[in-house]
Amino acid sequence: MRPEPSTSRPLTRRGVLRGGLAGVAALAAPSLASACDSPDTGTGKAGGKTTVRVWTWYNEQRDEWPKLVSEFQSANPNVVVQNRVFGDTNSYLPALQAAVAAGDPPEVFAPHVLAIEYGKAGVSADLTAELGEGFLKDFFKSTRDEYTDAGKQYALGWMAQTFGVFYDPDMFAQARTEVPETWDDLEVAAAKLKAIGKLPLAMSNNPGTSGLDFFLPLITQVTDNPQLVLDLDLQRNGARWDSAPVTQALAKVEELNKAGAFVPNANALQGTQAEQLLYTGRAAMLFSGSWSPQGFVQDAPPAFVKRYKVAETPAWAAGRKHWTANQAGAGLAVSNHSKNKAAALDFIKFIYDPQRYTRTMNNSNSMPSTQSAGALVANPILKQMTQWLLDGKGAPHILFGKGSSDSAANGLAALIGGQSDATKAGQAIQSAVEQAQRK
Amino acid sequence: MTAGALTTRRRSIRRRPIGYLFVAPIVLFFVVFVGYPFLRSFYLSLTSWSGLGSARFVGVRNFQVMADDPVFWKVLGNTFLFTGVTTVLQTVLPLLLAVLLNRGWRAGVLFRTLIFIPAVISLVVTGVLWQLIYEPNFGTFNEILRGVGLGGLAHPWLADPHTVLPALMVVSLWQSLGLFTLIYLAGLQGINPSLYEAASIDGASPSQQFRSVTVPMLRTVTGVVVILNLINGFKTFDMIYVMTGGGPNRASEVLGTYLYGLAFGSTAGAVPALGYATAISMVIFVLCLAATLIQLRISRRSADVD
Amino acid sequence: MSTDAPTTAAQAAAPGPAGTWEALPAPGRSRRAATRSAGYLALIIISAVTVFPFLWMLATSLRPSNTVFGGPLVPRSVTGGAYRRAWTQLDYPNHFWNSVYVTTATVVIVLALATLGGYAFAKLEFPGKQLIYVVLLSTLMLPITAIIIPLFLEMRSFNLLNTRQGLILVYVGGALPFAMFLMRAFFETLPDELIQAARVDGAGEFRIFARVMLPLAAPGVATVVIFQFLSTWNEFLLAQTFISAPQYLPLQPVLYGVVGQHSTDWPLLTAALTMSVVPIIAVYVRMQRRFVAGMTLGAVKD
Repeated sequence: MRPEPSTSRPLTRRGVLRGGLAGVAALAAPSLASACDSPDTGTGKAGGKTTVRVWTWYNEQRDEWPKLVSEFQSANPNVVVQNRVFGDTNSYLPALQAAVAAGDPPEVFAPHVLAIEYGKAGVSADLTAELGEGFLKDFFKSTRDEYTDAGKQYALGWMAQTFGVFYDPDMFAQARTEVPETWDDLEVAAAKLKAIGKLPLAMSNNPGTSGLDFFLPLITQVTDNPQLVLDLDLQRNGARWDSAPVTQALAKVEELNKAGAFVPNANALQGTQAEQLLYTGRAAMLFSGSWSPQGFVQDAPPAFVKRYKVAETPAWAAGRKHWTANQAGAGLAVSNHSKNKAAALDFIKFIYDPQRYTRTMNNSNSMPSTQSAGALVANPILKQMTQWLLDGKGAPHILFGKGSSDSAANGLAALIGGQSDATKAGQAIQSAVEQAQRK
Repeated sequence: MTAGALTTRRRSIRRRPIGYLFVAPIVLFFVVFVGYPFLRSFYLSLTSWSGLGSARFVGVRNFQVMADDPVFWKVLGNTFLFTGVTTVLQTVLPLLLAVLLNRGWRAGVLFRTLIFIPAVISLVVTGVLWQLIYEPNFGTFNEILRGVGLGGLAHPWLADPHTVLPALMVVSLWQSLGLFTLIYLAGLQGINPSLYEAASIDGASPSQQFRSVTVPMLRTVTGVVVILNLINGFKTFDMIYVMTGGGPNRASEVLGTYLYGLAFGSTAGAVPALGYATAISMVIFVLCLAATLIQLRISRRSADVD
Repeated sequence: MSTDAPTTAAQAAAPGPAGTWEALPAPGRSRRAATRSAGYLALIIISAVTVFPFLWMLATSLRPSNTVFGGPLVPRSVTGGAYRRAWTQLDYPNHFWNSVYVTTATVVIVLALATLGGYAFAKLEFPGKQLIYVVLLSTLMLPITAIIIPLFLEMRSFNLLNTRQGLILVYVGGALPFAMFLMRAFFETLPDELIQAARVDGAGEFRIFARVMLPLAAPGVATVVIFQFLSTWNEFLLAQTFISAPQYLPLQPVLYGVVGQHSTDWPLLTAALTMSVVPIIAVYVRMQRRFVAGMTLGAVKD
């Protein structure tokens, strides 16, 4: 607790310098001092070996990455793979963006929503050119499209997603009701479930962007045209958020909300809490993505894990297509200018090796992005959800355009919170997007 | 230049160089690690930059956009509200608690330690726990209200735009209570007991003594606590980001979360608006500079009164 | 201590043994006893609220992972497996050491330089003092988001990225203005007469600062130490961004890494957090007496 300079020696004025600046002097040139850390440990060559840095936030696979790394390193003894799994995008994005701004992104990284921008700016490599069409043709179209611009492939889908309604069949039996086929059915089922004291559909909207997974596919359900959401996102081809299809989709959310189909106060509910509502027996249904089985295996009681089932996202009307949110938000890009790019591409080829990739996805209960691995999904729930992809029911749910995600999320939150209606929410989204485009 | 010679002359003449030596290290650190990056930021605020490639100079355009960005004004209002309320609460309540604790309790050390715990608990746990406490359907807070017969007051605290900021202020208070109480306790230890004896001989009641001895003697400490609160309030980011992400519909969006979203998150979409974000921080800088100058003026005036 | 009023004064000044209350005459005693019970009750309620998360953390760290939510607070079955996993899987000892190293160095340097500077701004005169002071304080409320990227680029050109020393420098640079402000506030309360007396005795300026004034500013020193220790120990954004080599990462970024976007291994996380918090609490409890003793030194100033 005693500060440094208060030594017992009498001090001269020169002592001030010595006492005050000692710490500074000792640290002023760490790269020169032998006692200091070597800044190059993380980059370039370490001990004569080529380093491949891999940055993701794919925490659900925290146990799988070290296996991939050690297998790759024993197959390539001259390469060191430095694997960093960040917890969430909150801490990941500033680190990635700083590295990119400094012109030194990691060799392999999760590009998040910036995938295309990074590609266009030359930060990430065009994988069609690097790996060849033969390598890429195994990927699901939807997991390729989101990372493609002008024929160039700037990232690969790693973990894919589809969304559905997870439910507890025991509660449906107890309430003597069916798993909903359409949104109208959902309202009926919700009433019966509430009659036996259970909460209906848990849908989380905290943070606000999570509700978009639910809302955006509704726009595709209205029109049967998945292209419309992409047009809305980029504000092209005359698509507007205050147009009729969007308003109809918003009106459906409003109707379901007012009819009590959701667990109350979705705006306060975080994704993990919504999952808890289901597996702790409070709610009968959960609208969530294909990452939930991973979470259930880790956090839920074993009896629940054996019992729960999944149903397709309800359809607009009987006989209509069960459009469901789908894309691979978790992707991998390769740094274009790293001197270790060749090793990075080797690593990519290595981890996507069909057998190894299938094992990694199955061990972590993740949904694969390739058709070969998709055919070999072990977890029956995930197998069912992957099938929707194969059936072409995928609708976009990730917004990339300037201001789109934020504006749509806030319009939806106001609607769910009862501070707005479908028409006003649509108008609010449109004007917020226009405002954001100026920033 | 012997030390004895120093005392015979006027301070201002003799102490000229030594004062610089005392502050030189701080100035050096400041210039290198704050000043220089700040100047670069200032330049960035005059550009349009996505963090990719080079920044494009756009002059004062960012500031014009800001002037009619409704979100900016809302966020500024939220930030002032949050900072103002937490500063008052987190200045007054820890003082009262410190006075209470300072009265000598058999388990004093234990209480002091327990109250301090939230300050060392990681934010992740804080966020998760308060999420559990505020959860609208089975959260601890609503359950307690129902348990004591106040079920009518049960409320979706984080979902209601009117209660979300107050709910977050409570978490902020909970988290900072221990640290500020400790700072006050340190200050209370420094008050000479004879002042209280003199006051009581004059017939002052405990509450009069609190007002006439404790509060004035703690003026420095209180000033420090206020400034700390102002800084923390203005910079609030983590707690709100973890608990609400600024929602619902920006009801709890503050400058920290808004800037983060613009610079790194998806607020601006696929293209980060780093130029705009730094322009906003320049406005914060000017506001805070003004506040600092006013505070200096006030403290100098009160020093003159002494 | 025979009347009602002075008890407060005596108690406030010296946290003596609770026994003093019993020495009061009967009527005052019953009123006092009631006040005292109310005080205890208030303290117990406040402590219960503040200690709750720690208990939750402890309980969760001992649970099997699929019983974390929905069960009672006290776990039905208990396992220490999460601690073992945290120790080995997270490379805990190494990151813990990094945190100790970075935090200690930061606190020591900040304290040394901030006391020097704070003293100068409070007690010495030199041209441009006010201007320098205002400039130093001007960026206190600037969000880190505003300068993180320029700072990153600068550290890169110094070749200081990815080193713990670089991180320490960044922490020190960011923390100094506020710590200096704090120390100045505490030095200002000390009387000038002490300095003048020391000068008459022939002491040099630095000696006056270190031997005469610094011991009297103990409450300020304690405040800076506690505040700086906590904020450095808990910082994760800069550490996360400026250090990429896993072997140099301090604890917090590693702990944050356990929190997943969609699901989290709660026992692992809470076990690691408990291990990071317990040493702090232990040090705090031990230091508490020293702090109190150090702080009373400051009482001379009145």
